[in-house]
Amino acid sequence: MPRYLMQRLLAFVPTLLGISILVFISLRLIPGNAITATLGTEAGMLTPAQRAALERYYGLDRPHLEQYFNWIGEALRGNLGISVRHGKPVLEVIWDRFPLTFQLALMSVLIALLIGIPLGLLSAVYHNSIIDLCGRLFALIGLALPNFLVGTLIIYFLSVWFGVLPNAGDFTRFTDDPIKNLGQMIFPAFTLGFSFASSLMRMTRSAMLEVLGEDYVRTARSKGLRERMVIRRHALRNSLIPVVTLIGVEIGYLLGGTFIVEFLFSLPGIGRLTVNGIQQRDYALVQGVTMFIAFNFVLVNLMVDLIYAAVDPRISYKHHA
Amino acid sequence: MLKRFQGTHPKVPPKETEIKSRPGVFSRLRRNLSGMVGLGLVIIFISIALLGALGATPYPPNEQYRADRLKAPSHVYWMGTDLYGRDVSSRIMTGAANSLRVALLSVALSGTLGTLLGILSGFVGGLLDTVIMRIMDIFFAFPALLLALVVVTVLGPGLNNAVIAISIVYTPIFARVARGPVLSVKAMEYITAARCLGLRESYILFRHILPNMLAPLIVQFSLALSWALLTEASLSFLGLGTRPPDSSWGVMLTESRGLAERAPWLMFYPGLAIVLGVLGFNLLGDGLRDVLDPRMRGRR
Amino acid sequence: MNKLSRIGLCIVLTLVVLGAAMPTQAQDGKTLIMARAADTTGLDPHTQTAFASLRLLELIYEPLLTLDENLNIVPALAEKWAFSEDALSLTMNLRAGVMFHDGSAFTSADVKDSFERILKEETGSAARANYLSITSIETPDDLTVIFKLSSPDVPLLAAMTSVNASIMPSELMESGDISKTAIGTGPFKLVEWIPEEKTTLVANPEWWGDGPFVDGVEMRVIPDEASILAALRAGEIDFALLNDPLVATLLKDDPDIILNRVPAIAYHVFQLNPSRTPMDKLEVRQAMSCAIDRQAVLDTASLGEGQVTGPLTIPAYQIPLDQYACYTRDVTKAKELMDKAGMTDGFTIKAIVANAEPPTALAEAQTIQAQLAEIGITVEIESLELSVYVDRWLAGDFDTAVALNGGRSDPYTMYARYWTKTGNLQKVANYIDDTLDTLMNEGKAETDPQKRFEIFANFQKHLVEVAPWIWLYNGYEYTAQQKYVEGFVPNPTDALTSFSQVKLNR
Repeated sequence: MPRYLMQRLLAFVPTLLGISILVFISLRLIPGNAITATLGTEAGMLTPAQRAALERYYGLDRPHLEQYFNWIGEALRGNLGISVRHGKPVLEVIWDRFPLTFQLALMSVLIALLIGIPLGLLSAVYHNSIIDLCGRLFALIGLALPNFLVGTLIIYFLSVWFGVLPNAGDFTRFTDDPIKNLGQMIFPAFTLGFSFASSLMRMTRSAMLEVLGEDYVRTARSKGLRERMVIRRHALRNSLIPVVTLIGVEIGYLLGGTFIVEFLFSLPGIGRLTVNGIQQRDYALVQGVTMFIAFNFVLVNLMVDLIYAAVDPRISYKHHA
Repeated sequence: MLKRFQGTHPKVPPKETEIKSRPGVFSRLRRNLSGMVGLGLVIIFISIALLGALGATPYPPNEQYRADRLKAPSHVYWMGTDLYGRDVSSRIMTGAANSLRVALLSVALSGTLGTLLGILSGFVGGLLDTVIMRIMDIFFAFPALLLALVVVTVLGPGLNNAVIAISIVYTPIFARVARGPVLSVKAMEYITAARCLGLRESYILFRHILPNMLAPLIVQFSLALSWALLTEASLSFLGLGTRPPDSSWGVMLTESRGLAERAPWLMFYPGLAIVLGVLGFNLLGDGLRDVLDPRMRGRR
Repeated sequence: MNKLSRIGLCIVLTLVVLGAAMPTQAQDGKTLIMARAADTTGLDPHTQTAFASLRLLELIYEPLLTLDENLNIVPALAEKWAFSEDALSLTMNLRAGVMFHDGSAFTSADVKDSFERILKEETGSAARANYLSITSIETPDDLTVIFKLSSPDVPLLAAMTSVNASIMPSELMESGDISKTAIGTGPFKLVEWIPEEKTTLVANPEWWGDGPFVDGVEMRVIPDEASILAALRAGEIDFALLNDPLVATLLKDDPDIILNRVPAIAYHVFQLNPSRTPMDKLEVRQAMSCAIDRQAVLDTASLGEGQVTGPLTIPAYQIPLDQYACYTRDVTKAKELMDKAGMTDGFTIKAIVANAEPPTALAEAQTIQAQLAEIGITVEIESLELSVYVDRWLAGDFDTAVALNGGRSDPYTMYARYWTKTGNLQKVANYIDDTLDTLMNEGKAETDPQKRFEIFANFQKHLVEVAPWIWLYNGYEYTAQQKYVEGFVPNPTDALTSFSQVKLNR
């Protein structure tokens, strides 16, 4: 096991290195730079000397290769550079925004679990009944609705019918005022959780159906165990294994920030940070955030595999390549 | 958002089952309700798209009837008109063609490329496997949104570039989906037996491995189509959609945002179209899975 | 469903109810809460050019002069000003007893240092071009400043009303913390700027003017204008800046919210690039000008909110539209011109459009596209991310461009950059002739208002005649407020300076 862990951790290195090169090149490929992004068309009023001074200020005058190695060198020492827009170290900006994204991810997954798993189980247990039909219909609609449509509709109905808006640009951190924070987060979390609940429901349902057909469940039944016991003791535990993977993938994805939902609900999360950073050509910020997101992503994936092994006795990582 | 569709890990049938030996996939699909509803929706969708692509629309989709701007649905304009006085029903039809084109092309591109890379990686193994999968990991962990933004910013917006953006995001997923089964099949006794018999590797690949992977891949493709439709809508929301004045469902939905209060039909019809389109591909995918996955056979 | 998930469900439901039923946040009632979609991009008033930054900085910093709601130049930090007989020096008498937010006194030395900083190339101030006639600055005493000029420069006064000509304390400029803090003389002091979230301002009790009458201002960022509208309706905010006419006009008939509209001096324009074929032919440009129905563009893109305009949007310099060539659509004439240019079969060009900047751009482009199609011109629309658009625009790398260009209160400051031989943005305009250059330079030196009006009337007529660009319309600057917000005076430049006079009468 420790050997396997070491191998996996070592595999992070080339992946993250590749991502660092990819993000660095990507940013230099898109036209425009911090000067035009900040000044807009007024940048045309600059004299060559003024432009040179600004390029020096933003560090754009260095050769690309030098910029890259400087960045990587500093990053290895834990310094991701300074965001030109925020005027603060990139790491500080990220830590400022990350709790929101983390909370949103947890809340939406929680909401999805509370809706998706019971629905999936009910659907499987009452297979082909009216409950099953309704559950599957809910799941399909959840999967088919683009979340910007759901978010737009939620905001519209809340403000027009109920005269409330969960977040009018005054996002409150959980540590400052938990009740207010939850009031602001619940609707965006629902918007995100809705479609994931649908995936979960479908996954739970099919996994459960599969398990209910397996020999050991049939054996349990034939031993005369009551159906409730069969489901709770045997079927549930085993059918939840694939669900764990699904949750892991979803969390890994959500931790990357969800621009559209953050945009609609005025939440200062990682998604808006990334998109605004790109629009402002805040190279250090976008590079830092990308590395951060990518690192989270591979880490969450590793954790999923480990949890998977812990839950499913059939899997052992000893013979894994 | 550019949500990555969760590749449902296809399970490989425990023993060799060859597709052609199974009696009538379609006759089984006909008995599957959700599959049939899905197929019906998909056929309607494709017919509308074909009519739209052939120009058989009630009105020219890009014609601006300036006197009739923002008209509610009526017997003249079945789904009303937009800000420019263009007929919404005609634009839904050409939009269907464009949305379908983006979805089909991006899934075909990423599906082919990803599957090939996955098979190659899994079949050859060794260093090549490591290199390919490491590169796939890089694209997998790279924020999809940034990737799409970069592609479209560098290449400019437009249908084909949206296809490229979506494809880059989906290729690693297909590669993973394809590689897993190759590895498991490779390890199975009958393949080892085939090797022992001295059969050529490529023969083994085409004769034994590929047929076994076909079922999960077909399912994956139809589900991916539904995700691609949604992704196209999200890209449009970010301003990375079709070239104006051409429509797509995502573009129509995005254009409607500032107008929905005045003209709700502008949001309703494209929204309904996307929901039904995605629903169709999902139902069809479910139906195909039920029919193609031997373990699910006879269970419903 | 097991017990645990049942408990969990209860918790979630309770929170939903709590969250939705929560009263609108506890407001102290004395702070003006406003929202807007874009955020400040930086705190240095000399280098920031984004409108979103100016809206904040104009509350903190003050220039020597300012503009009232009719675009007249009125005193700010300077009380009186006069040109010398030869118009080669400008003497300003500064307001006495003005304090910076850090408690230091405002003197002529700060004025001298501020202008020298703007003129210094290392500063990177894009506004520098407007102050180039200043050769030296003298400070005979603490409250007098004399600007020595290389040539008569009437527009200099208007240029001095810009936020970019704000006066900073000398110590701040020496310390180099300009991008981190803001220390001005204005009615509000900066407490905190959290990028992309909110900016907190507190009233400056030491302000020289009468006011401010609120305790402070909280500027929030709500990126989606539809959500700003929702926030206004829900009563969560007092005041809002709106850009999108489609969103703003939804408030026109709202009984609870006041929508302020004032004709903007920024203008919507369809820029042709006369350095590219076939737009290098005068007849082709004129044909395009005749083929475009400006009112129709306005009606579609901005729902008719605005007025068709010639080049100058400053009310004092506007002339009747019938004096311009082809301002009513004339397709027959357009086709004749196309024939004359040997372009009977039409041609294909591309139009660059910035994505959602302004929100009306894509609608303008699509309307123009349909109109030009009628004379055989195919327009392919390229909608670009804003910075990509700016990059291509600055390089003059386009056939045509749909743009919303900012206006200035003086015709010379507004157009010298494009329509003079030495203009910094000549490479964007790509068209110049002797008439335009001469008229511009005459207008710069002329002090008599009536003569100046004549000069710029001729300038405009000629510009429309040769049609390097096709001016479309100017819209409104929108602000929206709750009824209890009193004393706000909308300004054609969208300035928020009258926040110093706002009272909250809840």
